[in-house]
Amino acid sequence: MDTPSQTLAAKITERLVREGLITADAAKKIQPKLAEGKLRAEDWRLPLELGEKKEAKP
Amino acid sequence: MSAAGLKKLTFEHLRGSVAPFTLPFEKGKKLTVIYGENATGKSTICDAFEFLGKGKVGSLENRGLGKTNKYWHSVGKKAADVAVTLETLDGTSCRATIVKTEVVAIPAAARPRVEVLRRSHILALIEAKASDRYAAISRFVDVSGVETSEAALRQLIRDLTGNRDVAVARVQENQDSIRQFWESAGNTGGDPLTWADTESKRDPNASNLEVAALAILQTAYSRLSDYPASLKSAQEALNTAKTAALAAQLKAQECVQTIAADAGEVMGVLESARAYLQKHPAPTACPLCESAENVQGLDQRIKERLASFATLQAAQGQMKSAGVNVQRAEQHLATLRENAKKHAADFQKACTGFTWSTDITMPATPVPQDIESMVTWLAGSTYLPVDWKKAETVRQDKKQFLGTLKRALDTCIENVQAQKELDALLPKLSHALKITEEERRLFTDTVLARIATDCGRIYELVHPGEGLDKISLELDPEKRASLEIGASFCGETGTPPQAYFSESHLDTLGLCVFLALAALDGPESTVLVLDDVLASVDEPHVEHLIEMLYAEAIKFRHCIITTHYRPWKHKLRWGWLKNGQCQFIELSKWTSKHGMTLIRSIPDVERLRALLAESSPDAQLVCSKAGVILEAALDFLTLLYECPVPRRPGGLYTLGDLLPAIDKKLRNALQVDVLFKDAAGVSSYQTKNLTPVLDELIRIAQARNVFGCHFNALSFDLLDSDALGFGQKVLELIENLADPDVGWPRNSKSGKYWANSEETRRLHPLQHPT
Repeated sequence: MDTPSQTLAAKITERLVREGLITADAAKKIQPKLAEGKLRAEDWRLPLELGEKKEAKP
Repeated sequence: MSAAGLKKLTFEHLRGSVAPFTLPFEKGKKLTVIYGENATGKSTICDAFEFLGKGKVGSLENRGLGKTNKYWHSVGKKAADVAVTLETLDGTSCRATIVKTEVVAIPAAARPRVEVLRRSHILALIEAKASDRYAAISRFVDVSGVETSEAALRQLIRDLTGNRDVAVARVQENQDSIRQFWESAGNTGGDPLTWADTESKRDPNASNLEVAALAILQTAYSRLSDYPASLKSAQEALNTAKTAALAAQLKAQECVQTIAADAGEVMGVLESARAYLQKHPAPTACPLCESAENVQGLDQRIKERLASFATLQAAQGQMKSAGVNVQRAEQHLATLRENAKKHAADFQKACTGFTWSTDITMPATPVPQDIESMVTWLAGSTYLPVDWKKAETVRQDKKQFLGTLKRALDTCIENVQAQKELDALLPKLSHALKITEEERRLFTDTVLARIATDCGRIYELVHPGEGLDKISLELDPEKRASLEIGASFCGETGTPPQAYFSESHLDTLGLCVFLALAALDGPESTVLVLDDVLASVDEPHVEHLIEMLYAEAIKFRHCIITTHYRPWKHKLRWGWLKNGQCQFIELSKWTSKHGMTLIRSIPDVERLRALLAESSPDAQLVCSKAGVILEAALDFLTLLYECPVPRRPGGLYTLGDLLPAIDKKLRNALQVDVLFKDAAGVSSYQTKNLTPVLDELIRIAQARNVFGCHFNALSFDLLDSDALGFGQKVLELIENLADPDVGWPRNSKSGKYWANSEETRRLHPLQHPT
């Protein structure tokens, strides 16, 4: 059974994807770290930057 | 997925179970009510579940016993003798024993999830400190992992915001510097940045060749300019050497004249003889005259004569040395003159070998070849190296300036780019943080609201219409891991229930919170054990509480309720509760020899049905049991329709009192809509008129007194079929009137009839026809 942190992490990453901030692949990667409290500054920054670059494409 | 139903629990040598005890569970019933007087072993059954599921015995805790392990086993037994086994309907079982000091359940995967609430702990969550209360529910709302990650994101935003501020400041600084350069360059080329961009594209090494040529030119000139002094010095040295040579010559001549005319030649002969004698130290004759007469001491005498010629010898040495010096000085001067001519040519080549910029000054005339003219030329061109140095400095300054300008422009561009990137990234990070914060708050608020709502819903079932169901659970934003509980009281919400609620209401609230939490955490796989939690609930609420427990129990894998509340026993016995969903077990008195024992309690209606179904029914037993049931039914009807019965101390009524109380008008009006389901599962009501049954019962009621109450010789003359007929009519009446699963029709909410909880019985009329 999922812990509250795991359940919440899934909700957060799902919304980040839905609002176009990160890609679905990035969401899969960060979700476990987000739940475990191991998502460091650079782990936040990279997927948000990548999401941004993907958006810039025509 | 729901876990398998329970089959039986067997345990031995755990606390009061001095002998093996087995608690069987009825298939299809998820609620087991265990009734027993004090000290019959109710808590031991709860302990057995807790031992198996949680590895502890909670009933001994908080009694000042310290570590309780040593009291878990029965008196006279050892810890290793304790064993608890739960068998389930899917054929699996789990057995727990004590290994060393730990409870070990095998297989671990089959270990049941168990939640136990005891009477002594019912207020623990309500009266606990906010932090302890949080600890109790933290497994549902503890999102500390996400909070840690969220803090990292918040810190990143702070850091990058700082970086952006620095980038903005640096961009300003860079632009100011470029503007200053631009202004010092004369405000040309449009705006400062366009100018700087154009300037920085210039090749800073463009003047390198000219600077290098300037260095060669300066070196050549410098080398040339040294010659006047060098030549003068060499000429003076030659003059000095010549003067010294002349003086040495005069002195040597003077010495020769002073000593003898041929002294010079004699000294030469003596020096030769001396050299000969050093090679031939013991000659037998003079090497010149070959006379042996004076050969003795010849070497000594030559030494003495040569000494007398020393002055002459020194003068001649000085003259010779002076001559050498003159030669050297002459040679040095000649070399200098040659070199001067060569370097003059080199300088001339440096002048003409490069295409100079117009700002660089060149000599008006070439360097003269003759030395004297060259010296004059040099004296008239001393301004040249000063001009060339200036030109070189201008070019180096220009190169340095271009480098500085390019660096300033590059830094400015980098900082502008960094600022742009941060301007794009920071809103996304802030958006991500906002989402994270919102989802976290929503998650915890939702969980807490769900618990609170469920708690309020359950509470309302027990205390309907009291307006105390507005329960709130709130995390204190000012404190970490702190949970406040609030309730509505006299129109005010959020008041601490501990301050205003009665003990009974607090008990109910504690039970409701426990049930709400237990229902949140996989109830379908949880065995819920409630140990004597009804004790402080007052009579008006106890039925609501029991109904609530029936309703909530079905959510769980199984629910076990122990109680010493006697009315529950009787209400179940008479089918006044939903005993169809409930297994009722009664514990008999505990003894040190046999330990715990149980009695199977069967509702009286079921017992009557069983008696009638026997192949040779006992008429006396049938009449006795049917009479008691009929009294219960008539008691119910006379109360419901407020029928007059004789007032009597003790309130005990017989059939003789109750049957006449159901007067003819009421008897004719009484009918029940009974809900049936056909084979296809379609429900429909069939109306059963009670009049014929009641009329018949009035006619044969005496059978009960004759057969079922006392020894009566009259019974000898009656047929057993009369007794059995009485029993069957009572059974027909009670089957129409009450549902064995959902009880008696006591609810008048419809305004038209009396109904039981699921409306499987609708009793008409609503009021007595009079």
